[in-house]
Amino acid sequence: MKNALFALALTIPLFAQERVTLIRNATILTVTNGTIENGSVLIRGSKIVAVGKDIAAPANARVIDATGKFVLPGIIDTHSHTAVEGSVNEISLPNTGMVRIADAIDNNDVSAYRQLAGGTTAALVLHGSANAIGGQSQILKWKWGRPASEWLVSGAPRTIKFALGENPKSANFRPPEGTPRQYPATRMGVEEVIRKSFIDARDYMAAWDEYEAKVKRKETAIPPRRDLLMDTMADILRGKIDVHAHCYRADEIIMLLNVADEQGFKVRELQHVLEGYKVGREIAKHGAGAGTFIDWWGYKAEAYDAIPYNVALMVRDKVLTSVNSDSDELARHLNHDAAKAMKYGGLTEDEALRLCTINPARQLRLDNRIGSIETGKDADLAIWNGHPLSVYSRVDTTFIEGEVYFDREQDLKRREELRKEKEERLKKEADEAKKDKDKEKEKKDA
Amino acid sequence: MTLRRLVAFSLLLVPLLSRADAPGVYAITGGTVHTVSGAPIANGTVLIRDGLIEAVGSNVAVPADATIIDVAGSHVYPGLIDAQTSLGFAAPSGGGRASARPERSERPPEPTPDFLAIRNVKLTDDDADARRAIGVTTIVTAPSNGIFNGQSAIVNLGSGSIESRVIKSPAAIQIAFNTRPTWTYPDSLMGVMSYIRQTFLDAQQHVTATEIYTRSPAGFERPQENPGLEALRPVLRRDLPVVFIADSELMMRRAMTLARELNVKYVLSGARQAYAMPADLKNVPVLVSVKWPTAPTDKDDREDQPLRVIRDRQLAPTTPGVLAKNNVAFALVSGAAKSSEFLPGIRKAIENGLSAEDALRATTLAPARIFGVDRQLGTLERGKIANLVVSDKPLFEKEAKVKRVFVDGREIRLPAEEKKDSAAGAPASAIDGTWALTVRAPQGNAAIQVTLRAEDGRVTGTFSGDRGSGDIKGGSLDGTSFEFTISANAPDAEASDWVFRGTLDGDAMSGTVTTTLGNFEFSGSRSK
Repeated sequence: MKNALFALALTIPLFAQERVTLIRNATILTVTNGTIENGSVLIRGSKIVAVGKDIAAPANARVIDATGKFVLPGIIDTHSHTAVEGSVNEISLPNTGMVRIADAIDNNDVSAYRQLAGGTTAALVLHGSANAIGGQSQILKWKWGRPASEWLVSGAPRTIKFALGENPKSANFRPPEGTPRQYPATRMGVEEVIRKSFIDARDYMAAWDEYEAKVKRKETAIPPRRDLLMDTMADILRGKIDVHAHCYRADEIIMLLNVADEQGFKVRELQHVLEGYKVGREIAKHGAGAGTFIDWWGYKAEAYDAIPYNVALMVRDKVLTSVNSDSDELARHLNHDAAKAMKYGGLTEDEALRLCTINPARQLRLDNRIGSIETGKDADLAIWNGHPLSVYSRVDTTFIEGEVYFDREQDLKRREELRKEKEERLKKEADEAKKDKDKEKEKKDA
Repeated sequence: MTLRRLVAFSLLLVPLLSRADAPGVYAITGGTVHTVSGAPIANGTVLIRDGLIEAVGSNVAVPADATIIDVAGSHVYPGLIDAQTSLGFAAPSGGGRASARPERSERPPEPTPDFLAIRNVKLTDDDADARRAIGVTTIVTAPSNGIFNGQSAIVNLGSGSIESRVIKSPAAIQIAFNTRPTWTYPDSLMGVMSYIRQTFLDAQQHVTATEIYTRSPAGFERPQENPGLEALRPVLRRDLPVVFIADSELMMRRAMTLARELNVKYVLSGARQAYAMPADLKNVPVLVSVKWPTAPTDKDDREDQPLRVIRDRQLAPTTPGVLAKNNVAFALVSGAAKSSEFLPGIRKAIENGLSAEDALRATTLAPARIFGVDRQLGTLERGKIANLVVSDKPLFEKEAKVKRVFVDGREIRLPAEEKKDSAAGAPASAIDGTWALTVRAPQGNAAIQVTLRAEDGRVTGTFSGDRGSGDIKGGSLDGTSFEFTISANAPDAEASDWVFRGTLDGDAMSGTVTTTLGNFEFSGSRSK
């Protein structure tokens, strides 16, 4: 009941008219340029235009006094399945690189709003891990109340989900009885699917090259069939689509990095990567990032060797590391997972904050726009009532591109309005139902 | 004309000439004539000759050879057009999913845009009677299963062979965003989108390859024959529209984005949430299904629903009124509704802001225009096909009864009104009883027992078994196809709705259950 009401908090940009905002007297956690006590952030339109100690409020600026509060860049979650209509898995084939999360965005998913309440503003929404090569993923900002088309981060890199291990070999879920088991059924098979897909893609590219050469020579030619799956694979080889690969075990991580080197593509981010600490240097050498859970383990065989020190050990091995959620629930408090990395492995406060801000931004290749509080970046940030690395802190206000998408005070007020609306609407239905019943009774009696 | 052609032609003429009930000459006099093309004419006359309307007006001279039908005090309308039905096609088992489990294979199965409704439709007298009794004389029909539903047809509900009753075929290519059963491509919405996209790319490729080969075959492999892709050629040329089945705002927007990307002419059908986006539909014809969402019967269930769902079901019937105010071209259609729900659905739209005049237009001229048959149908004007309906009161009033129906200028006898047996109570329906069901989920089978009872098409009951127990959250029964929802509880997971859709076959039922985890097949039998 409570959830249902919360679900409806339509916090459409509350100050849409207000194009200039000054947040002042706050502790600014810039992430990239240290901490500014008693600092200010000036937002004009969608961008941060000044960060510092003494910024005068321009005329017409909305001024937020954040005395005693903290400003953190919007948290970025590189492993989300939020806001997808229907299944996040196209299960049917070992390689479903033709399908796109972007085709199935659901901007009614209240989880996006709840994440705003936890200071999370952007996410990589991934295809599921049912196949060795899954669908194309999508980077979104949680612009709750705005059309789904506006949630897509324009100009963001295209991404795709790969998956290794138990899930793509269907160890934990199987087709119904009587249906043949889907290839691949082993880790060897997963490797083969990936390798073969790139070999096929090169044949496909060669066929198109040959066709285009013929056209150039003014020869008549029938174009090859355009194949959306092969287009995707070719774009990975061309560096136009970033690979985010679900993985657990050290051996399969090395396998993927080897196949990537052999086939000529880069793995942008290893996802989950619970045994990453065993092969941190190899991961760093390839240049892959790692997005992981801080303390989830043992939930399946390939997760037995996980340790909470994984994050710190990978950071020490110079792996670009983030904490991410794979969960609507965890996505609301990734700051806690970042904080735990200080306890397990002794990361500094700054290192911990980077785990959920600039590091994921770099993994998404959007660090020129989000992930820190810097002049020129998108004004995606949250005002916290205490230090975000404390479990006692919560978010007061969350901005995306200069507009407020969550405000605690407004939310509480709105809940009452929504409760009333629901009550009235239910009453209307109950009254109508009663009227119909009475009429029916009247008819019967007559 | 060659001899062979001549013979063929004569053969064709035989049934035409030997038809006994040739349309005659009728003057329908004394009623209020709602022409749709102009203002209603009090005490007007409609003159019908040889299947067509010859004259309409208040001062029409009745020729000597006309049979006079006095309908004084009644209302005369053009026959209604129901522009979205699956009449004459079996309800899909598994709720819009492919009826048989398609072969699993590495390659996507071939689409069937070449499926012609007109070659496959099986209209029964009951189907036609039920529609005519509510004033519908013309339907657009196509199956509702699969992604490419095939090519729809516009058919008059008159007498004679189906071929003689066709107004237009194909009327459109119909596409629904139906997923296939899990493990068969495409089993997700994302997959369906890709599947449609790839099919159109393949059609374009087919056209290009065929054209190049036809110009100069030397040096080229002969393109394979592919009727499915060939059928999309008129769609690529923008000669034939696509009707996309899309109910929610998100699905409509997806369909619109896809249609623009594919550069096809299109119509949206379903359109429940069009109330939220009238400005974006200015240039998009819309078929609004009057199957409005209903509230759960149980009070607790209603209260558990998020406001968004409650708000939507209360706003949905405002869609026609909102579209009318915004000058969007729209028709009112039954869609998945039963014929008995059509007029009540239209009345609900009228209660929610649509004028009766706009409602009439939306069931006559508007659908005729959307499908490009407005020179033949949609108004009472000279030269148009004589499809007429006579009702004792204005047609959309609750107590109105259809008294006479003319199709192609012939009067069609209406079925005698069935006496309602109010004393004996409703007879047992085909779904009544206790059923043992097995849901085949990837994680393992789930056994669920349901006790169901249907009354007036509404299914109620209880469930118990591997996924908890409780009341059925509402459902429906239409002939042998049914739908019902349970609130399934899995260990360590939140309760979530499982929607069972399928068909009855005596003491067996089977179909697909839609869950947040995907679609699974189920089957079961009635306990003795």
